Amino acid sequence: MENFRKVKTCEEEGPLPFPGLPAGVVHMKVKEGSKIRNLMAFATARMEARATRQIVFSGCGRAVTKTVTCVEIMKRKLGGLHQLSKVQYRTLQEVWQKQGHAEQLTVDKYVPSICILLSKDSLDPGEPGYQPPEPRDRLWTLDGGLQDQRASLLPPQTEKRFWEPPGQERVNKKMKVQESPVDYRA
Amino acid sequence: MAENRPATRLEPKGAMGLDVEMDRAEHTLRRRLPRKLPKRNNDVYINMKTDFKAQLARCRKLLEGGGFNEICIHGLGLAINRAINVALQLQANSFGTLQIAANTSTVELVDDLEAEVDDEEPASRTRNNSAIHIKVYHSFSK
Repeated sequence: MENFRKVKTCEEEGPLPFPGLPAGVVHMKVKEGSKIRNLMAFATARMEARATRQIVFSGCGRAVTKTVTCVEIMKRKLGGLHQLSKVQYRTLQEVWQKQGHAEQLTVDKYVPSICILLSKDSLDPGEPGYQPPEPRDRLWTLDGGLQDQRASLLPPQTEKRFWEPPGQERVNKKMKVQESPVDYRA
Repeated sequence: MAENRPATRLEPKGAMGLDVEMDRAEHTLRRRLPRKLPKRNNDVYINMKTDFKAQLARCRKLLEGGGFNEICIHGLGLAINRAINVALQLQANSFGTLQIAANTSTVELVDDLEAEVDDEEPASRTRNNSAIHIKVYHSFSK
């Protein structure tokens, strides 16, 4: 392997792991050498426009940390954003060439990648990887796990919905709560 | 180097493990450990010092032998990558029975600047770092 040199790497372009996104969604592809200030300058300018409802940040390999950092900065700056994070493996195709030879060797490399959707409109809270906008660092408190806290924090109502909730489920829950004390008294 | 900012300290419980050997400089920068974290039996914290295989085996043991339906994998900063890798490896080797749900957060970290020269005052600085929390669970449990 010593005589081989990496000639090029190409990233396999797959579709985003979020079905039902509009076509013109802003997609920030974070790379290892991207500057956070450049990324954020562009992204915040786009997100400040009222028409932009969603933004996607994605990065793989060593850019994952930077991607998460960008998302965290964006959440802190704007507030009230619903988040959906997906992690997956992405294939990197590396072409290696032996020095002085024409023969090439193609290697598929699987690197961890992350895709994060930030939305001004509410998303499906049942989807794995969903985070409501309000509690920022409640994940780190001792009592109760991730799940217990999330159950008590339903996303607040917003004027427009990206995801339609299934009918009257929420209304029914409220009604049950009201009914139960009446039962006890009787 | 040392700004004389008012010390913005977190709760004193965060100050641990400060008895490190000092070197001769104007200030010594000491990174405190991240503040108090949840540590249930099914929480796994991924760092960059432990062997990757050992961390993976530990998670696998919790899910298979430990009787937990779900575990939480946490990674801070550089370890985010490895945390994702552990979670994806678990999922890939589970023949589709495991699901993962990732959450991100910001963790506030405190650095202490300790004076080495007499008339300098000790200070502390806070900075933020990104973290990831991945819930790995059996798909039938939910």
